[in-house]
Amino acid sequence: MQQEVILALLAKEPSYGYQLRARLRDALGPLGDAMNDGQVYVTLARLEKAGQVAVERSAGMPDRPDRKMYALTAAGQQRVAEWLTEVSWPKPDLAEFHLKLLAAGAAQLADPVTIVDAQRRELLRRLRDAQRAALAEPPESGAALLLEGVVLRLQADLRWLEACERTWTGRNASQRRNK
Amino acid sequence: MSQTMNQSMLRAGGLRKEYGREASLVRAVDGVDLDVLAGETVAVMGPSGCGKSTLLHLLGGLDRATAGQIWLAGQWIDQMSERRLAALRRDAVGFVFQAFHLMDELTAVENVELPALLAGRSPRAARRRATELLDQVGLGDRARHLPSELSGGQRQRVAIARALANAPLIVLADEPTGNLDSEATLDVLRLFESLHEAGQTLVIVTHDARIAATADRLISMRDGAFIDETRLTGGTSGQLSALVNLDG
Amino acid sequence: MSRVWLVGRLAIRDLRHNLPHALLLLVAITVAMATLTLGLILHGVTARPYWQTRVATNGPDVVASSVGFAGPAGISAAALGRFDALAHAPGVTAHSGPYPVAWPVLRFGRVTADVMAEGRSPARAAVDQPDVVQGSWVRPGGVVVEREFADALGVHVGDRISLAGRRFRVVGIAVTAAVPVYSQVCFYGGCSGPPGARPSFDTGLVWLTEAVARSLGTAANPVTYYLNLRLAYPASAPAFVRAHQPPPGTGPLALTAWRSLRDAAATVVVQEQQVLLPASWLLGLLAMASVAVLAGGRMAAGDRRVGLLKAVGGTPALAAAVLLAEYLVIALGAAAAGLLTGRLVAPLLASPGASLVGGPGAVHLGGLTVLLVTAAAIAIAGVSTVVPAVRAARISAVAALAEVVRPPGRQDWLIRLSARLPVALLLGMRLATRRLRRPLLSCVSFAITGSAIVAVLIFHASVRGHAGQSGPEGPGDAQVSQLLLMLTVVFVLLAAVNVLAITWATVLDTRRFSAIVRSLGATRRQTTAGLTAAQLLPAFAGLLLAIPAGKQLYAAVQNGGPQASPSGWWLLVMVTGTLLAVAGLTAIPARIGARQPIAAVLTEA
Repeated sequence: MQQEVILALLAKEPSYGYQLRARLRDALGPLGDAMNDGQVYVTLARLEKAGQVAVERSAGMPDRPDRKMYALTAAGQQRVAEWLTEVSWPKPDLAEFHLKLLAAGAAQLADPVTIVDAQRRELLRRLRDAQRAALAEPPESGAALLLEGVVLRLQADLRWLEACERTWTGRNASQRRNK
Repeated sequence: MSQTMNQSMLRAGGLRKEYGREASLVRAVDGVDLDVLAGETVAVMGPSGCGKSTLLHLLGGLDRATAGQIWLAGQWIDQMSERRLAALRRDAVGFVFQAFHLMDELTAVENVELPALLAGRSPRAARRRATELLDQVGLGDRARHLPSELSGGQRQRVAIARALANAPLIVLADEPTGNLDSEATLDVLRLFESLHEAGQTLVIVTHDARIAATADRLISMRDGAFIDETRLTGGTSGQLSALVNLDG
Repeated sequence: MSRVWLVGRLAIRDLRHNLPHALLLLVAITVAMATLTLGLILHGVTARPYWQTRVATNGPDVVASSVGFAGPAGISAAALGRFDALAHAPGVTAHSGPYPVAWPVLRFGRVTADVMAEGRSPARAAVDQPDVVQGSWVRPGGVVVEREFADALGVHVGDRISLAGRRFRVVGIAVTAAVPVYSQVCFYGGCSGPPGARPSFDTGLVWLTEAVARSLGTAANPVTYYLNLRLAYPASAPAFVRAHQPPPGTGPLALTAWRSLRDAAATVVVQEQQVLLPASWLLGLLAMASVAVLAGGRMAAGDRRVGLLKAVGGTPALAAAVLLAEYLVIALGAAAAGLLTGRLVAPLLASPGASLVGGPGAVHLGGLTVLLVTAAAIAIAGVSTVVPAVRAARISAVAALAEVVRPPGRQDWLIRLSARLPVALLLGMRLATRRLRRPLLSCVSFAITGSAIVAVLIFHASVRGHAGQSGPEGPGDAQVSQLLLMLTVVFVLLAAVNVLAITWATVLDTRRFSAIVRSLGATRRQTTAGLTAAQLLPAFAGLLLAIPAGKQLYAAVQNGGPQASPSGWWLLVMVTGTLLAVAGLTAIPARIGARQPIAAVLTEA
């Protein structure tokens, strides 16, 4: 979970831990169902150590992080402002997969085409699930929009995988011919 | 319409379709075996020119195979006479085309009732069935519109309703969303999902992964032959969290 | 200048691309133009043979006859005096006669004919000495027969014939310019005949000795007299006739100028002309229908071409010019071919028969004829292409490229009605009404062809009406009948071409429709039946219209006058035969069109 997300959620007003958690799950819809609750508190602790977040008061028990009220520090506010203007798009894992295929082909560990097929299958299943979830959501809900984005990116990734398959099948064929 | 599950609705063995001769021989379909169970949705994906549309035309009786056998709804259709094939197209098969192929001079409801009229049903019964189907696809209020007054997605939905007119055993769709934008694609997608839920057997040819994702089984095709088959139901459904990187 | 060159090249290339279509048009228009050419050429074509005969026989400028005015006792003294006065009237340079003319019945074998038997002396006459082409001139016991009459009878020198029961021998065959040609002998009412018989057009001419001629006269069928005159100024013949002609009905003689004699020879040809000119009009209309069908059928393809032209920078005018240029080329080609054909066929129809020596000579293709025929060809092609050309000028390039074909017309009531019909008729109705222009054109072309055939049937019925004579058939009638037969065949062929063209255009236009309907479950037989039904209905309507139209046509050509009713039996044959032929002709393109696999048609769309 990106730290900046938590910071941004605190920008409006200070919140309790459990409130933050609830807001996150709302925004993510079904995708947030399996979210690890503890992650939120770990991130909050990290932010507190970094000085971007401070605990305002705690309702009684000091060891229960969900009862602590967190607020942005000045440093935190600045960081949020910066983050909102940053344009770096989350890095996709294309490079990693591409290197995986090259390594497998070079070292003859596995047939790259088989790897691509397996990845395609997985992505197709994910696409199906995301699409199903998207169709089940009420049309104007925020989560539907998020799911739509997931589906479209998976579609794009699948297209790239088709291209990978074509290329690697061609390479296999020419290798066989050259043998 | 309930169909006994696990019963084969369509089977094809060694299907081949060739054009030209000798040096310029083109094998559009080169040895395809297929088995579609009742109520199943099967998607066939592949790059353009791989022969998937040709395959669908063979399965629907719109073209004759050079070799191979096709078994549809209890009959061998590869050697059938043209007249019996026509009856089959009328009663057992519903075809959806990429280009819609609606009659431009007929309204939506007149387009949809046409197969029923061809089957000999009374004009009133045909009209009633057509109106029902248009309601089913969500175009009840556009029944009297001409195709030129409908959007692409609406036209395709009318075409789907027409394909369902005579309650076919199997619906064959050839790139149904090929000419549609993403919003219209969603509409058609929803329609296919609801048909699937109602137990309709579907074979869809597409290069759109979104449509393919509605299928139970996905078959990849290249150069006229099947190269891969994926079962999409079962598997990793439910693990939606894998889709977003919520950690780190 | 380069623009014209460009237009020409584009037009020619386009024509080569669509050769069968262009050829079809060419044939249709050529036939019409050939008929028109014939009609125009035959005007005045028999003048030359007349002149040759006249020179050879020293023919008269004016003839006088006493037919109808002689009493049973023979010619009166007063009438003889009148003949004499005429022979010596001012302006007359020579005369021969008056010769006695008897009107016996001739028998040769089983053939009988009415005859004008002119009595002559063996000596040469000053005016009108018939030119003997075979045998010799009259002598006692001998008879000389006019050549065309002899051909019709089948008589040769040396044969024996009987006149009013008396036997004679044929000693010679001759021609003359003093009496109208065979089959027109009685043209100016100059015939008499056996009592009770109608003067018939089959009266022939023979010569014998004066004594015999006089002896052949009877109380009931008296001898009449005939006088030939030569004038100082032949051109003054009409004036001479006017000056000396007694008031009509008073007698005792009737005068005829040489021009009338010459024109009588032309009667057969005039009849032919009377048939050919209206026929060429009708053929022209039929050709226009063919052009309209073929031009309209290519409108979509034409639009696309036009769109391409415009997209690469051609102006609307250029696009229209190319279209017009194509049709101009076809029109000019057809005009040339038609003129040539007409020129070649004309001599066959132009002969006035054997009555005059010399053929019609070089048939003259006048400048006026060429002009008229060319103008007609251009008009036919132009009228039918005006609509596509105007469209080409106005349509935008984008629309043309997008092949925004005019959506077929929609008739609510037709669609609702057709839903109640059996499948074949349902398809037929919807197919036919997609483009109303086609069934209309089909109806029109059947009406045209049908009315031509009905007119011919009426003609035959009329001929048979005053048939029943035992005489030989006049050559005029036979020639006209033959001409009519030929024209009928041409009409039927063109109509068949039209049917094929319309059906083919329909099949092409409805390929997608048929493919979709077949993909929904219609059988090939049903779509073929639908196409056939779509053609039969306008054909039937056209034929029904043809019957009254044909009667009107005949009346117009004959300038009123009596009309027999066409035989009902033949009309039935015409209608059923046509409908069967249409069904057969339609089935061919329909079956060819249905042979294509559905997928092929739908994927190319």
